Amino acid sequence: MRAYTGHYELQTYGRGLENLVVTDTRVAEIDGNRGRLLYRGYPVEQLAEACSFEEVAYLVLHGELPGRDEAAAWTEELKRWRKPPAEAFAALARIPSNAHPLAIYRTMLTIAACHIPEAERTDLEAQWRRPARILSWSAALAAGAIRHLHGEQPLPARDELGFAANFLAQALGREPDEDQARAFEVSMIVQAEHGLHAAAFAALIVISTGADLGSAVLAGMGALSGIRHGGANQLAFENLARLHDPGHARRWAREKLAQRYRFPGFGHRIYKCPDPRVRVLEPYAKRLLETNDLSDRWHTYAALREEVEGALSEKGIYANVDGITGLIYHPLGLPASAFPIPFCLAIETGWMAHCLEYLPSGKMIEPGAVCLLD
Amino acid sequence: MPTYRTLTSNFPWALDRLEWPVTSEVGPGLAGVIATGTRVSWLDPSSGALAYRGIPIERIAGEYEFEEAAHLLITGRRPAEDRDAFNAFRDRLRRSRDLPPDAVALVRSLHREVHPTRMLRAGVSALGCHEMTAEDELSGARHWRELRIIAQVAALVGEIARHRNNRPKHMFETGHSLAHCTLRALRDDEPDTRDVRTLDLLWVLYADHGLDAPTFTSMVVASCLADPYYNIVAGLSALRGPLLGGAGERVLAQVLPLRTPEQARLRVAEILASGGRLAGFGHRLYHIPDPRVVVLRKELAAQARRRNRAELFDIARAVEDEALRQLAPKGIHVNINFYAALLFHLLGADGPLIPCLYAVGRMAGLLARVHEALENPRLFRPLDRYVGHRERSLPREGAR
Repeated sequence: MRAYTGHYELQTYGRGLENLVVTDTRVAEIDGNRGRLLYRGYPVEQLAEACSFEEVAYLVLHGELPGRDEAAAWTEELKRWRKPPAEAFAALARIPSNAHPLAIYRTMLTIAACHIPEAERTDLEAQWRRPARILSWSAALAAGAIRHLHGEQPLPARDELGFAANFLAQALGREPDEDQARAFEVSMIVQAEHGLHAAAFAALIVISTGADLGSAVLAGMGALSGIRHGGANQLAFENLARLHDPGHARRWAREKLAQRYRFPGFGHRIYKCPDPRVRVLEPYAKRLLETNDLSDRWHTYAALREEVEGALSEKGIYANVDGITGLIYHPLGLPASAFPIPFCLAIETGWMAHCLEYLPSGKMIEPGAVCLLD
Repeated sequence: MPTYRTLTSNFPWALDRLEWPVTSEVGPGLAGVIATGTRVSWLDPSSGALAYRGIPIERIAGEYEFEEAAHLLITGRRPAEDRDAFNAFRDRLRRSRDLPPDAVALVRSLHREVHPTRMLRAGVSALGCHEMTAEDELSGARHWRELRIIAQVAALVGEIARHRNNRPKHMFETGHSLAHCTLRALRDDEPDTRDVRTLDLLWVLYADHGLDAPTFTSMVVASCLADPYYNIVAGLSALRGPLLGGAGERVLAQVLPLRTPEQARLRVAEILASGGRLAGFGHRLYHIPDPRVVVLRKELAAQARRRNRAELFDIARAVEDEALRQLAPKGIHVNINFYAALLFHLLGADGPLIPCLYAVGRMAGLLARVHEALENPRLFRPLDRYVGHRERSLPREGAR
């Protein structure tokens, strides 16, 4: 018996499977040379301009924007799942508050996963019923994890608020104003999907084993937790926070440039030109910082960006999305250690879209390893 | 640049050196793809050879306890080469079974009906919150307490078994091997050395087997420089799939109701005639007998006999014989899960607990490979190919 029939092709790839094409996709198109990011054909700039996170999540998952009825039903479904199992919150009492917030959030998700309906069903129909639950539970649990850092109790959901605003209200204990809510929502929209990055790849491997969608998300979260990935926004912000003012930023940057330093918040494996997500988010960050008397922070960022890009843009190194999101999360009042959480929450959408796309025809992903005899 | 013929039967399982980039054939599920070079173990499914760090599995099965095999896989050194180093490794392993009470309490707060693999994943995740602080994770000094994790997973599995059997928390002890302590937690009696040896053997044989999905998932996660608890949570998530984790449970469901070898033959013929699937048969890589099966078959014969359950072995043989009569010509053979599930059963485990038990063994290989990958880390970041909708603009009214 041959385990695999079907199409084989020759490919050339490097360590880390660099340049290896794993699968076809209809979810996102990324053009790293022109700085374009499109979800299901729509440029992310337009989606950030006109859509809610709920609409974008629907688009990413289903392939088309929802019509009026579909949008209402989807929003309703998301709201229905805003209350995760109480056991997941009860677990907080047994988790030290100096743990990393993403690890607290992960633990709450693994416990919620012990209380899911149709737990052991992994047919396509059951899998398609899961995204709304996973997104809404994730938001509530993530908010609970953030409150746990300050020893505070989780808060109930606010039914009248949209997905992004409700998350902020649950995490911060106060309702965000319109500017804050929209800035945060836009940050979720532009981070809802980004192709087959390492975390999406980890999720895809897990779904290919026949596991449930929640298990795939947990694997994605693992990859995202690493400093090479989701932790990058925290690192970038903490680095920026050490710089007192624009002058300091420039001096520090010049010093580091001479040492061929890898600047946190700069450079991207795919984008060799300005990152489209940065262009969308910068005006929101600037405005939030200004209204919160944090203009200095903005000028410091701008100075650092000018200095680093001035020297490195010819090598294709520009400010990346990890460097700018912290400048939205910080004025909202989120602690830096919690920055990977909203990124995770947004991009779970994309992971699930890739998993659901892979499922119908996907083979279990198991490459080979070569034994080295030297 | 070398080009490799990698169709499954031609995969270059062993090379003197590997030069990147490589050109190879690529099939569905990344069949034929060379993901990495490794010195941890050698697997050549076309000849049936499996070796940990160059030592054939048959020899390891006969001579090594699990703790020794774990040391070999992770450090690359035979315990006999440096007895002191091994003793230090083993003592650290045994001390690490002491779990934070809050992590145990958290697992015990879960409903007994929850699938044990989900309990284990929650337990490992909770452990990570105790072991790693927010400071650790960004300090750059990665706290690779990998040895601890093997012992912690073993201890957690023992606690999960006890929780499911409605028994109180297990007393912590350092004087015995992981296998001894785990059996004791599982059965609540002093296990005899023969049973301990069987569990050691099962763990040794499950310790490493190429880049299967749980191991590869862990490597991808590790390549992002995540902390080890994320790796294990991700690996356990991949193990949860019915294709991998559910195999032992299905074997027991199929074999245990059978009363006689004759009934077994009839039942197998019936299942195959109706196009059904036999649990514990077939392997993606092996189209010849799996070398690990030979060892386990012999072990089941011995264990069944000394328990006065020789008929269980006869029934298992009858299932295998009848199945192979029809399937062997198609290259389908019995796999490790078949005899392993029956052995786990004799040791006192029920079906759902089996994947948790073999996960303990797999921790050794998984951590050895993660360790190896981190010596020279490179992010796993392949590509997908966009074949979707062409660029379009939002409808005029927006989407609202």
